[in-house]
Amino acid sequence: MEHAAPSPVPLGQAEVFQALQRLHMTIYSQSVSPCGKFLAAGNNYGQIAIFSLSAALSSEAKEESKKPMVTFHAHDGPIYSMVSTDRHLLSAGDGEVKGWLWAEILKKGCKELWRRQPPYRTSLEVPEINALLLVPKENSLILAGGDCQLHTMDLETGTFTRALRGHTDYIHCLALRDRSPEVLSGGEDGAVRLWDLRIAKEVQTIEVYKHEECSRPHNGRWIGCLATDSDWMVCGGGPALTLWHLRSSTPTTVFPIRAPQKHVTFYQDLILSAGQGSCVNHWQLSGELKAQVPASSPGLLSLSLNQQPAAPECKVLTASGNSCRVDVFTNLGYRAFSMSF
Amino acid sequence: MGAVTDDEVIRKRLLIDGDGAGDDRRINLLVKSFVKWCNSGSQEEGYSQYQRMLSTLSQCEFSMGKTLLVYDMNLREMENYEKIYKEIECSIAGAHEKIAECKKQILQAKRIRKNRQEYDALAKVIQHHPDRHETLKELEALGKELEHLSHIKESVEDKLELRRKQFHVLLSTIHELQQTLENDDKLSEVDDVQESTMEADSKP
Repeated sequence: MEHAAPSPVPLGQAEVFQALQRLHMTIYSQSVSPCGKFLAAGNNYGQIAIFSLSAALSSEAKEESKKPMVTFHAHDGPIYSMVSTDRHLLSAGDGEVKGWLWAEILKKGCKELWRRQPPYRTSLEVPEINALLLVPKENSLILAGGDCQLHTMDLETGTFTRALRGHTDYIHCLALRDRSPEVLSGGEDGAVRLWDLRIAKEVQTIEVYKHEECSRPHNGRWIGCLATDSDWMVCGGGPALTLWHLRSSTPTTVFPIRAPQKHVTFYQDLILSAGQGSCVNHWQLSGELKAQVPASSPGLLSLSLNQQPAAPECKVLTASGNSCRVDVFTNLGYRAFSMSF
Repeated sequence: MGAVTDDEVIRKRLLIDGDGAGDDRRINLLVKSFVKWCNSGSQEEGYSQYQRMLSTLSQCEFSMGKTLLVYDMNLREMENYEKIYKEIECSIAGAHEKIAECKKQILQAKRIRKNRQEYDALAKVIQHHPDRHETLKELEALGKELEHLSHIKESVEDKLELRRKQFHVLLSTIHELQQTLENDDKLSEVDDVQESTMEADSKP
């Protein structure tokens, strides 16, 4: 079989720059649209790309369907976190949170609806926002990041209502406990703190690194990922990935994986986690590893499950990390394909 | 007859052509043999020709009857297939419903498994702690010991008090005796002195 030799095309400056950009890209955050058909991904250059999941998953998908529909420059710094409400996409990174309308986002030259900055104590340096959390019951958004506080912003008026202080080092991740309106936050200081939103105070503190079963001093004490299921919580990072029973603050199961995990979530009867190794791990609550599915990025930073009821055919798990690719797992057991910036 | 156009005739003849290669020829032969029979001379020849014509006719009738039967059979096969098609559709719908049911059951089973695993995890932690009955028994035993020891302590304290009081009584009695003796001594001294002064007074 003879292959035609490709004629060498001299790459212009722009293409070289783009290729270099893609080589060094990290996708930090993802968010699914309320209709379930689109996925937004934010990277370390401050760009947001909107991918069409329904086109990429349809039976006549071509190579172009795996490219983003639009890419626009959203922030000046990396976009560490994104969430979606039923009409807006909220993205945050370099100290500001911006809101975009999903209905307008596919049009060219989309501008943000609003941008807000929580009241920081010092105006010299603007700390980054690492995590966003929506509290649907009171229609507010919680931001947490470099200034070690949790700020609550009311989504209707845009005012910042509370600032919860307690962490001694910056906050990595947030989780919402459904039954009681409590928020869990985990940070660099190694403690998971539970805050009651009604009284705006810290109600429980779990210092993970102090427990022998899960602490790994050689990795540090930082908590990189947090997920909760009302009675149970799973957290990991420097210490080993552990399942905690919240009422008694006892660690019940330690998951035997050495690599620090950066994102964890509960799904049906499993716990999905992803981190430094390039696999998505499926754990059962008893601590057994049910499956380890390889992904295409060398390290994974974010997992997103599209469970929007409006698009059941787009129910997929997407994973992104230290590369320009977003892996799509249609059946959780294997990687179907990857979309890239 | 004139209403049927030539095209129709040709089309029909071409349509029937595949099957009717033999029949078409037979009918033409029949027409020719009819003409020959009309023109035949002798009796036997005519008779044999007549027989031959009858047999050709019956062959034609037979093949027509066969075609009619095949047509009937095709109609009934069609009905049969329709019925089977509808049945298969029903069973497909049924299978869809069963799949949905099974999916719900899977979700339920997963929830049950999750609950069981949560229970197991908590149970493992609880097992680390000692049994409640044993601890209660130990507590009771310790309580009894404590009571016993406190009784002993009380009785010892009582004894101590008693001894102390007795000693106190003893000592105070001794003291009083001492006092009384000293008083007596003093009194006897004073008496002696008085006696000596009285004697000194009475002498000179």
